[in-house]
Amino acid sequence: MVMKGQASNSWKSTAVKFRMPTAENLVPIRLDIEVDDQKFKDAFTWNPSDPDSEIVVFAKRTVKDLKLPPVFVTHIASSIQSQLADFRSFEGQDMYAGEKIVPIKLDLRVNHTLIKDQFLWDLNNFESDPEEFARNFCRDLAIDDPEVGPAIAFAIREQLYEIAIQSVASARESRISKKGRRGAEYALASKAGSGAVDIVKLFGHKSSVLRKRKEWDVYEPIVDLLSNEEVDALEAREERIAR
Amino acid sequence: MGWFSWDEIHETEEVALKEFFDGSSITRTPKIYKEYRDFIINKYREEPSRRLTFTEVRKSLVGDVCLLQKVFRFLENWGLINFAASSSEGEIPVVGDDERSKVKIEEGVPNGIRVVAMPNSIKPISALPSVGNSGDAADNGFKMPALASYSDVFAELMKHRGLVCGNCGEVCDSGHYKCTKDDLLICVKCFKNGNYGESKSVDDYKFNECFQNSGNHGALWTEAETLLLLESVLKHGDDWELVAQNVHTKTKMDCIAKLIEMPFGEIMLGSVQRKGNSSDLNGNLNNSKQVHLPSAEHQENAKSGVQHDEQTNENELNGDTENEGPPLKRKRIASLLGDDGSLMKQVAHISTMVGPHITAAAAEATIASLCEENSLSREIFDGEDECVTNGLLSPTADYEAKRYLIHFRVLEGEDSEIKERSSQSEDQDASCNKDDIPLTLRIRAAVATALGTAAARAKLLADQEDREVEHLLAIIIGTQMKKLNCKIKHFEHLEMIMKKKHAEMEELEEFLISERISVLQRALSAGVPRWRGHSFVKY
Repeated sequence: MVMKGQASNSWKSTAVKFRMPTAENLVPIRLDIEVDDQKFKDAFTWNPSDPDSEIVVFAKRTVKDLKLPPVFVTHIASSIQSQLADFRSFEGQDMYAGEKIVPIKLDLRVNHTLIKDQFLWDLNNFESDPEEFARNFCRDLAIDDPEVGPAIAFAIREQLYEIAIQSVASARESRISKKGRRGAEYALASKAGSGAVDIVKLFGHKSSVLRKRKEWDVYEPIVDLLSNEEVDALEAREERIAR
Repeated sequence: MGWFSWDEIHETEEVALKEFFDGSSITRTPKIYKEYRDFIINKYREEPSRRLTFTEVRKSLVGDVCLLQKVFRFLENWGLINFAASSSEGEIPVVGDDERSKVKIEEGVPNGIRVVAMPNSIKPISALPSVGNSGDAADNGFKMPALASYSDVFAELMKHRGLVCGNCGEVCDSGHYKCTKDDLLICVKCFKNGNYGESKSVDDYKFNECFQNSGNHGALWTEAETLLLLESVLKHGDDWELVAQNVHTKTKMDCIAKLIEMPFGEIMLGSVQRKGNSSDLNGNLNNSKQVHLPSAEHQENAKSGVQHDEQTNENELNGDTENEGPPLKRKRIASLLGDDGSLMKQVAHISTMVGPHITAAAAEATIASLCEENSLSREIFDGEDECVTNGLLSPTADYEAKRYLIHFRVLEGEDSEIKERSSQSEDQDASCNKDDIPLTLRIRAAVATALGTAAARAKLLADQEDREVEHLLAIIIGTQMKKLNCKIKHFEHLEMIMKKKHAEMEELEEFLISERISVLQRALSAGVPRWRGHSFVKY
């Protein structure tokens, strides 16, 4: 039986206005621009409360720092703007904020480091901090490359963003169908999201929160250091897939 | 940190991690918190010396990683985990994000440093996998591998006495006789053999000792002087004025210096109060710095037929005992082993620092080398042991070993009573062999025996351990067998019950059938027509 949370603010069981379910409301922005056979890929987080004038400034600075042809400025700026606009379109709406624990998967390559990982994340925890998780990750596994941490944080944010958007849709649904029963919260949770875990099954009275040993491998991070050749091979394959 | 208890959740925990205790979600309950907490602490305690990382535990726990991180941090801050972990591994980057690109944070131990489980271990941190002996000793400038023979070590020193005999051309390593008339030097051997050179006689020669250390104010001590010195020390003890008076030719400082130089000089100084016969030094034994312990109440007979190599042996022995013997504070450079004050303690110390196999090998080799190099020590052992077979040490002859231990104690000058006892027992000993054997040899033999005894005891202990292990193993096997038997009995019991039930079921079936039959019969006899279209009950 779910009781309405009173003690801590970070967990809310009522609907909230849409925002990133993390301590800092940062939007993940991905850039993937190709102009005249020149590619530019990037991924970073943007604070939506920054004034929009900053976008162009940022685009110009990026082009200058990376010595890209000036035509990129407009492309970058417009890409950022459209993604921000998407984000803002959700902002006014209600977001389902019930009990929701989702699996987050990491499968990324940053320069020479390959990372595969899986873990659970509480979508309802509005104090969560992907950056801190990424910092701990890199520290515990002694990862040297300073670009890995931010990449991990970004990947987490992206997935959270995805799920948050979906929960807006589900909140809309629940409003429409007018389901007021408490029990429905769980049903919604399982319907709405990309495979949120079955909370009752995992956390219920009869089960143990200690994971079975055979599943430890699944939830254990794997970090590989690649050689230069492997990196080249992977990059080539990625390009082929992209086309 | 005394508040922690396995069975309970303390207020501190409830306050710090209130998410678990406010009932806001079924994913956060006190039971769940306790499971997380107990798992993490147990995981850490599996190996307290390593630093447990969050990433290691989170794979085994179901739940939001941010929350788990919070629990982990809580436990770490309160010292419930990672309290004994070495802090050199894993630096927590305190720098902010901006600086991170500029500052390279060293995570993990830098190359070339090996982290040791015991931070203050006295073992050398550099990659020195071998026995600590050589490494330790080497550090202190006195390079002597533990198992080298003394001749290896002291060959160098012996060469210093580089005087060559005028007669036979050999190196006078033990001392030489200088002709008072000429400058001719002859070695001891020649002197004994009577090769005094032309037209000279015994009287012309004055004996010169060779010293290992030349820092002796240039004073030469003759045999007579040394004898006088020792006698006076025994008589007068610490009164150096009187001693100097007795030894007319030497000053007070010279006396003290000489006494300290001599092996067991310290012991002498310490045991001066004890009763003891004056030493009876013969010429042979006195060529260098051999000293009788006051406890030695044996008459040393000069062996006329002493071979040359025995002499050298004695000198070597002497040198060796200097090294091996109990505390020679002058010679012994402050070693890693500390001023333990006793050889056995040092040996024990060394053996604790290295593995058991190494210790066993070292002990074996030590005993072997001690006995092999000097056949005389074998004689000692053989001569002593009436009841022991031909052999160096008989590990089973504990009594014998104890006697030798008593000798050894004598060397350390520990207990005068024991000394008396030993001297008495030695007096009773009929074997004259023993008496002839010089003291230092006996000392060496005793040392070897002591070490051997230690080795023997170690073996006994090891055997005992083995037996215990076997015993325990037998108990385990027995218990398993019992368990299996219990299970079998249980199953048999179940089978029996099954059979009974089965039998009952069959009875019931039969009963039912018979009832049916009787009903049918009654029905038939009552004239009820047979049913049509119904088959009889088949069974």
